[in-house]
Order: sequence, then structure tokens, then C-alpha cells
Amino acid sequence: MDAPLLAIENLRTYFYSRAKRAFIRSVDGVSLGVARGETLGIVGESGSGKSVTALSAAGLVTAAPGVISGRIELRSNGARRNLLDGLENYARVTEQDGRVVAVEKDERGWRKHAEKLMTGVRGKEIAMIFQNPRSALNPYSTIGKQLVETIRLHTNVKGESEAKERAIHWLERVRIDSPGLRFDNFPFGLSGGMCQRAMIAMALSAEPSLLIADEPTTGLDATIQSRIVDLLAELKTETGITTLLISHDISVIQRLSNRIAVMYGGTVVETGRVAEVLAPEAKLRHPYTAALLASVPTAETIRRKSYLQAIDGEVLDTIEVPRGCRFYGRCNRVTEAIRENCAGVEPPLGEVAPGHKVRCWLYPAVEGKA
Amino acid sequence: MSRTILEVTDLRKHYSQRRGLVSMLTGQGRVIPAVDGVSFYLRENETVGLVGESGCGKTTIGRTVLRLSDPSGGRIVFDGRDITTLSRAELRPLRREMQMIFQDLDAGLNPKMRVRDILREALTVYERPSDAGIASRIRELMEQVNLKESKLSNFPSELSGGEKRRVGIARVLAVRPRLIVADEPTSALDISIQAQVVNLLRDLQKDLGLTYLFISHDLPIVELVSQKVAVMYLGRIVEMGLAERIAHQPRHPYTGILWSSLADKQTTEVSRRVRNVTVERERRAWGVFDFEQPASGCRFAPRCPLYKDKGRPAVCTDPASEPQLRDVGHGHVVACHFA
Repeated sequence: MDAPLLAIENLRTYFYSRAKRAFIRSVDGVSLGVARGETLGIVGESGSGKSVTALSAAGLVTAAPGVISGRIELRSNGARRNLLDGLENYARVTEQDGRVVAVEKDERGWRKHAEKLMTGVRGKEIAMIFQNPRSALNPYSTIGKQLVETIRLHTNVKGESEAKERAIHWLERVRIDSPGLRFDNFPFGLSGGMCQRAMIAMALSAEPSLLIADEPTTGLDATIQSRIVDLLAELKTETGITTLLISHDISVIQRLSNRIAVMYGGTVVETGRVAEVLAPEAKLRHPYTAALLASVPTAETIRRKSYLQAIDGEVLDTIEVPRGCRFYGRCNRVTEAIRENCAGVEPPLGEVAPGHKVRCWLYPAVEGKA
Repeated sequence: MSRTILEVTDLRKHYSQRRGLVSMLTGQGRVIPAVDGVSFYLRENETVGLVGESGCGKTTIGRTVLRLSDPSGGRIVFDGRDITTLSRAELRPLRREMQMIFQDLDAGLNPKMRVRDILREALTVYERPSDAGIASRIRELMEQVNLKESKLSNFPSELSGGEKRRVGIARVLAVRPRLIVADEPTSALDISIQAQVVNLLRDLQKDLGLTYLFISHDLPIVELVSQKVAVMYLGRIVEMGLAERIAHQPRHPYTGILWSSLADKQTTEVSRRVRNVTVERERRAWGVFDFEQPASGCRFAPRCPLYKDKGRPAVCTDPASEPQLRDVGHGHVVACHFA
């Protein structure tokens, strides 16, 4: 198999909460790979670390004082670079039995170095689309101007009129009506769905190697959501762009992704091919994935007007991470045989089938490795 | 059959928007008909779901039937009493019988007050119970919404989303309402918490005999909790009927599209068919509806796949014949010339 375009290894992104005098372990040892041409969907609830994973990859985590460690390797255009290379020189991390207790950081140096690492990468190699398109667009500039700027900055097209032509072409490709007219519109003159299309055009117009789509449909109306999902599916077929898709909506992930990673409490608890992980008859599922799928009303629950299968308890607080499995407190599949493990030792992400990994003590493959 | 607790007839709520000096001086502005002639009723202990895209007037209806904002026209009858024009003082005793759960989790939760004081305040608005009475009611409320008593001394900022929602519900229950308008009660919550809250709302309805007007854009959840569903488009109800009929045998093209836009596996056969017909066709025309350019005749015509399929019949855009709701059997009403 080809080396993945983006390889994240043991990424840890912590933020320091002054109020609680503790580290929020938003991303806590995540390893993921996105192969060339595929779409990897990350699904999880708020606080699971899915967005912070994406932001870390795009070099957009700037909050101080925080920690970010691990490797994020991008292989594009024959080059291979670690987007976190050398950052460790600017922060001294004190750990106590595997937990970060203090960080001393040269904030300015860190930031400067981080910017240097991302130059020529962010926007060019890695483009992003965000949840709230209106706030990501410049309100003082027309859609067209912003597109032209992106194109002239990031592609070989440098001429003004040529760039404009290209921009209108991109507006057309994202199915914006009368692109010639919309070119001169300001973001406020466009609807939410239209703004999202414009932002997709802007991201793709730089011809990036990797597209990060962070909740691209959240906050849009149901009918508009499905239009945007349709559009992303079409663009994926047309351009074959490698995508890291973040969403809390499993149905969106299911529709657009080849592989899925389920995140909980800052870690990946399950990963595999979408067809396998989300197959209705899948047996080897992480209890959290299973519970997430079950909490959505199905035709059967609706017909019988039965109760929804809720997951007890609350989403994990990533400040006080338990010693054992992060899902232990809410899990309904704990058996006496594994209870001790669940409560005391964090299960590894073990392979239960080729390419399908689950972080749970229930599955023999995992036990065998421990 | 249980009796009708809320009856709304031809409800209208128009907002006027004034822009610029001229319209300010002349007192003329654009009028935005957020709710434009809506009629429905709710029977005791039943749930009616109200669905539609944002901006269609769902929330405005919720606010107006509770008289949180004043209607521009129509009639609202609550429990046999016309409340359309009651004064604030006259409304006050009725307020406790009709409450609202807001979409915003923080609505009604004073950030400077502990949960205990928030509930105490709610309990003492209409009554002056003894301290012991308050304490026992607080315990009862916390039990009803499945919250640990240890949370009573927390501030709202120390609660998770699901807990805030529960406190919000407890606060509403404190006055023992009969009708609750639940405006997107789950949309601000995580998926795993949504199910908990939906189950809780259904339990409370059973135990306390509550009546819900359930406003949401989450169609499967609406279908699950509601007996009847009303689909709104641009300030009007375009289709209304039993939940399962609306979900599985929609007659109005808009309902079909709304349901099929769920990128979900369980879409019904009908909506799948509707979707296949429409997707290609409306892809380009599918803009966002706009109060500023009201269509004459049927409001949905500019986006309607059926309208195009039928070769743009004149009746759809005839200003004199806006489609009215008509009965198609089984208590199912549709506002479409061709449905």
C-alpha cells in the first residue's frame, strides 16, 4: 500500500485551563492515516477531540499555554514533512507517570516556528472548510475577490483576468447559480448554503493535496445539508481529492467516507472501513459506536413508539481522564470477566479484523496483545 | 376523546422592518409575514410536531401561542378561553399553565444563581410555599428530571449540556404547566444525550399528562414523539396529519423533499421516489426561500418539482388561488393543487 498522504502519529494536543488549573486533554494519543484519494471520516460528540485533531493537522492550534506533540506527516509533491518538526524544542513538558503535569513554553519562539512550518502548507497543501461559512469568509470583500486572491496566491495562475475566469469556473463547479453575478456579491448577500459552496470553491481553488472539512453541514437546514453532502460527493468523484471529514453526524460520514474513525474522550476507539464498521450486522463493534448508532431513532423504534436507547451518563470530561477505559462509566457491555481490566487499564486499539481496529477489552484480539 | 387544550385559528404574525430614513419617517416598511394564517389544535396529553426549515415561522408560532409575542391577527383559545387579546395582568395566572422550553440551553438559567436557587425562584413565582414545602418540591423535581441532588449547589456553568437541559425542564415543571412548547429541545445537545432527553420528555408526558407542541427540524425525533405533525413552509402549514402518514405517505411535494433530505437509510419508499424525480431537477433552482420576493399563488412553486413536471400550470402562480389546506382523508390535510 502507498504511504498515506497524511499520517498522524500519537498526536497529543492539550490545553491548559486556568480556571481548573489542569490540562484539558483534548487529543490524547491519536494515530490516524489518510491514504491518497480516500476520505477518512472522524465522528464523535462534542469534546471528543475530533475538531482539535483536524485543527492540529492544519496548524491552527495556537492557544497558549498548550502542548502539542507527536508527528503529523504530510507527503505531497514528492516532499515529506513533519508539521510538528522541531516544535518540541520550544516547550519543556514535565510528566509524571504518563501524565503531563507542567509545561514551560517559549510561546513566541513556538509560534514563530509553527508559522514557518505551515508556510506553503496551510491553504496550499491543506485547505479547510469550516462549520460556519459566513464567519470564515471576509465580510468586507466580495466572494470573487477572495477567490481570485486564493487562486493567485496558491496556483500558477497569476494574471488578474485569468484568475477571475478560473474563479467563475470554480463557482460554477460548486453549482452556484449565475456565477458571473455572484462573483460580485459580498458574503452577507448569500444564504448559508451558498456561503458554504463559496467556501468549498475557495478551498478547492488552491488545488490542495488534502481537504479538511470540519462539520461542513452542521448548522445548515436539513434540505440544504443534503445538497451540500450531494455536492461534496460529486466533487469527490470529480477531483478525487483526499479528504479528512469531521462530523458528529454518522449519516454524513457514512455517505462520504471510505474509512471511519470513531473518537471518544480524545482517543480513537474504533477505526475501519465504513462498510465494515457501520454494517448493520457488524458484531465486533466498540460499545460506544454501537450505542451511538442505537440512539438514533430507526424506522422500527418509530413504528413501535418505543424508547430510544440512550447512553447513560455524560460525555467524558477530558480533564480527569480515568485510568481504565474512557467509556467504562457509560458502557453497558462490561462483563465480570473483563471488569477489572476495564476499570484499571486503558485497552489498546487492537485489530479485530484486517483493517478494523477496536479499543475494547471485549475482543479477543485485544486481549491477546495485552 | 380528550378535550382540546389549545386551538389556534388563522394565526398571523407580521414583523415590520424599517430601513432607512424615508421608511422611518413615513412609517412604512416592509412587512414580513413570519406566520401567515395558521390553524391547528392540540388535544390534552397529545404531542403535535411542528417541522420546517429555519425561517419558516415555527418558533414564531410557539412564541405567539404563548403570547410571548403578540399576534397580528387570528385567534388563540387556551382551555376554552380566548387569550388573543388578554392584557398582561390577565395573562399572568395563565402563564403558569403554558410554558416554553427554549432551544438555548442557558435560557432561563441565571449564571449567578445555583441550581437550587433557580428552582426555588421558579417555585415561588406563583405561590408562597413553606421552606419545607420548597425543599420537598425541589427534591421531587430533581427526581423527575433524573438529576442527582448534589447538582443543586452547582452553578449553570458547572453543568454539562444535558444537565443544563434537565435543569431547564425542572424549572418549567416547577409551576406545574399543562401545555409545554418545546422549541428544538434537543438540537443543542450531543447525540448520546439527545436520546436521554427525548425519553425524559416522553416519560414526563405520561406521568404528568402534559401536552406538547414539539418544534424541531429533526424529523425522525418528531415522528417518534408526535401523534400529529404539521409541516410549515414560509409561514404557512402546507401539510398536517398523523405522524406516520406525514412521514411515510406525504402528499405535499415539500414534505417529500424534507423527509428525503435526511441522508438517512430509513427514508421511505415514497420519499425515495420523490427524491429521484427531483434531485436532478431542483439542484440548480434550489435556492433558499425568501420573504423578500414572495411568490404569487403557491409559495412553494418556485422550488416545486411538481410544478415543473406539470409544465408550470398557471393555477400555481395565480395570485388569486393560493392553495388552501384540504382534507384528503384520515384527518390528513394538504395545501397543494395537485397533491
